[in-house]
Amino acid sequence: MPRRFRSFAWLAWPVWAFLALALFYPLWQILALGVGEGLGPTLANPYYWGRLAWSLAYGLGSSLLVIALALPLAYAFRYRFPGRDLWLSLATVPFVLPTIVVALGFLALVGPHGVLGINLYGTPWILFWASAFYNLGLVLRMLVAVLPALEPPLAAARTLGAPPLRAYWRVGAPLLAPALLAGGGLTFLYSFSSFGLPLLLGGSRYATIEVEVYGLLAYRLAFPEATALILLQLAVLALVSFLYLNAQTRLSLSLAPSALPKALPSAAAWRLAAGVWLFFLALYAPLLALLARALAAPEALASAWTGGDFTPGALALANTLRFAGLSLLVALPVGFAYAYAVWRGDKGLDLAGLFPLMVSPVAVGLGYLLAYPSLSGSLLILIGAYALLSYPLLARALLPALRALPKGVLEAARVLGASPWRRLWRVEWPLLRPALLSGTALALAAVVGEFGATLVLRRPEWTTLSLAIYERLGKPGAEPFREALALAGLLAVLAGGVFLLLDRGRRAVG
Amino acid sequence: MFWNTQRNTLAGWTLGIVGLLGLLMAPALAQPTTLTVLTHESFSLDKGLIARFEKESGIRLRFLKAGDAGETLNRAILTKAAPVADVLYGFDNSLLSKALAAGILEPYPSPQRSTLRPELLLDPTYRALPVDFGYVALNYDKAYFKDKPLPQTLADLARPEFAKLLVVENPATSSPGLAFLLATVATLGQDGYLDFWEGLRKGGVRVEKGWSEAYNVAFSKNGGDRPLVVSYATSPAAELFYSEKKLAEPPTGNLLLPGSSFLQIEFVGILKGSKHPAAARKFVDWLLSKPVQENIPTQMWVYPARKDAALPEVFKWAEVPKEPAKLPPQQIAQGAERWVREWTEVVLQGQSALTVRNARR
Repeated sequence: MPRRFRSFAWLAWPVWAFLALALFYPLWQILALGVGEGLGPTLANPYYWGRLAWSLAYGLGSSLLVIALALPLAYAFRYRFPGRDLWLSLATVPFVLPTIVVALGFLALVGPHGVLGINLYGTPWILFWASAFYNLGLVLRMLVAVLPALEPPLAAARTLGAPPLRAYWRVGAPLLAPALLAGGGLTFLYSFSSFGLPLLLGGSRYATIEVEVYGLLAYRLAFPEATALILLQLAVLALVSFLYLNAQTRLSLSLAPSALPKALPSAAAWRLAAGVWLFFLALYAPLLALLARALAAPEALASAWTGGDFTPGALALANTLRFAGLSLLVALPVGFAYAYAVWRGDKGLDLAGLFPLMVSPVAVGLGYLLAYPSLSGSLLILIGAYALLSYPLLARALLPALRALPKGVLEAARVLGASPWRRLWRVEWPLLRPALLSGTALALAAVVGEFGATLVLRRPEWTTLSLAIYERLGKPGAEPFREALALAGLLAVLAGGVFLLLDRGRRAVG
Repeated sequence: MFWNTQRNTLAGWTLGIVGLLGLLMAPALAQPTTLTVLTHESFSLDKGLIARFEKESGIRLRFLKAGDAGETLNRAILTKAAPVADVLYGFDNSLLSKALAAGILEPYPSPQRSTLRPELLLDPTYRALPVDFGYVALNYDKAYFKDKPLPQTLADLARPEFAKLLVVENPATSSPGLAFLLATVATLGQDGYLDFWEGLRKGGVRVEKGWSEAYNVAFSKNGGDRPLVVSYATSPAAELFYSEKKLAEPPTGNLLLPGSSFLQIEFVGILKGSKHPAAARKFVDWLLSKPVQENIPTQMWVYPARKDAALPEVFKWAEVPKEPAKLPPQQIAQGAERWVREWTEVVLQGQSALTVRNARR
């Protein structure tokens, strides 16, 4: 990197310090305990291999399903039809939705007391559907960006006399592969290590490793076995992340500027629109069911607000907002410093900084309990976990904007005698603001809906909206379930606000 | 590019959040002495009694219910460096060793201790004081078994025709579940109990997380599909007490097979690191006082630990099992954790009893 950026080299150090305290040291504690006594007996137990097998099957099945759905859909999105831009924008809604809200939506639709009257609770189908709900938008956006770039080479192959199928197989597929690998890889990562959905929807038979770890910890205090499972999970995640990162670098090379959607005759456009609308409505039906049922019982929100036997919704909302604000205070500077250092070409930090996206939140919580027992009553520990889990999202949103900064403008500012600080404030900051807005929204979404680490570290006075909902789900009966639905509706509205923030940031970029 | 509106978004958000917090956090300021009692979800006492105690002592009571007894104790152990409460109530004799070994309790030889039944004072260091006791026992739905045979021995239960009728609680998460597991260990032996549970698993026993899920959801009397449930010997009396139509006799009955029931003693202890030790001691004395002890039976359906507490009329329907299973506390202390692990391996993880026994070496 050129010398002119040298002035901000020190920015990497606070990030390393934060990572050491918030991630590496607690993880080291887990490793020490797990390797010490838990690994042998756990690896000898076939039950845990079964858990691993199901987690892998869930991850792989999800990515295949999502790709199978997203590919034809992406082809439909090559054309202009009524609602195209709306759905492309809404496809990112699941990103900001807390898992517990989505889980409740599924329970409201196809749970034991669901609207549809089919009970899919405790079946793999509900989990695969939930996975598609979460990841389809992500993969779709990737493919929509890549597909137009395929047109010229395919046309060339056909001109040279290749039959269409052969052209597709020999020219199109290799070009499409990185995008599919990246999308499938991310879907795998999210599903394989998911916690909230399998815990709330899968019953005991379809528990992922993450859920098993939580059970071992909360019910049996079996630290050694829990840590051994975390190690197994980390090994798989590290491997897949490595493959994903590889695919991603190749992907960024093959990205051509995306073409405008093609026009269609109006009758065909309407037919296409009808199909796409129907598909999305079916996919997002759980969310609609949740909102409908939350609105249908306003008195449940009133009783949830004051609490009764449970944590009052008022306190939970206050906590959620307070923790989100406090985490941003940490995540913003850390994320900014990280993005800056990576942009300057700090390769080591680039890899290390992605690590928080890999570790399981449950493992982070467990690591904190082991590493900082005396802090278990201090908010520091929770805010640390939140900041750790959210800053990479912020930084990932910021990086493309940093890389897109016009060099000429920075150069001009320098030549005209602006100091580095002044440049940052007057030139770079205005250019980065939209991306920062998106990144902040993503970080906020991660914190507002965080469930795993919060559950492990929970203290009664720290109950967030997610935990207040979970509390009510744990009680049999219709009344607590109605209260849970009402609070989930509230949380969904909160996430909607975050989404608008995200969308504004994106519009300013796009 | 509307930068000027965007510039205000972040600032607006921050201000909005801060402002909301100010509004929402204001009423949440705590009063001077609030005593927090960590307990299980079945805890209940007469509201008038609690209000009188609060008025006379000037201590506000906050009851924190953290799931079942086992989960509650784990929560206390996990947060022992910064306790979430001052007093822990509801851990029983099967969990006593775990609680004492974790070093989370402060000794308190309450002046009330001489009024308690001596056989319940299991902890000579007075870190745990008995508050009440009861018997975990099998209950059956009378309507279902009107013209069907009931099992005659504990071992009968593992036969396929009965296993598919039974719901039990997970001993890892539930104290009655653990008590029933201990009964099977005491009655069928260190080896036999695994075969018994393997038979139950193969026959289709249903496992629930806690008593309330098992009794209020899975038990056929309450709309579930299981006419046999692990509950308490006082449950039929409670059914009569709460029945809406004045019934002559309870709709459920105790199935007191020899060695199938287990004495359960519930304890109270003051948590180490409590910020209000004096208030905590006052609360413990009050819990052992006569008015509260006489209120406990119809609130929580257990027997008072105090010798001179009178029992209510409805307790004539509660039976004391003649042949309960017994295990000395030392044996529970040494074995409980291993039995729960082995139970988990056989019942939840689907291993064979033989494999688990062979792995003991």
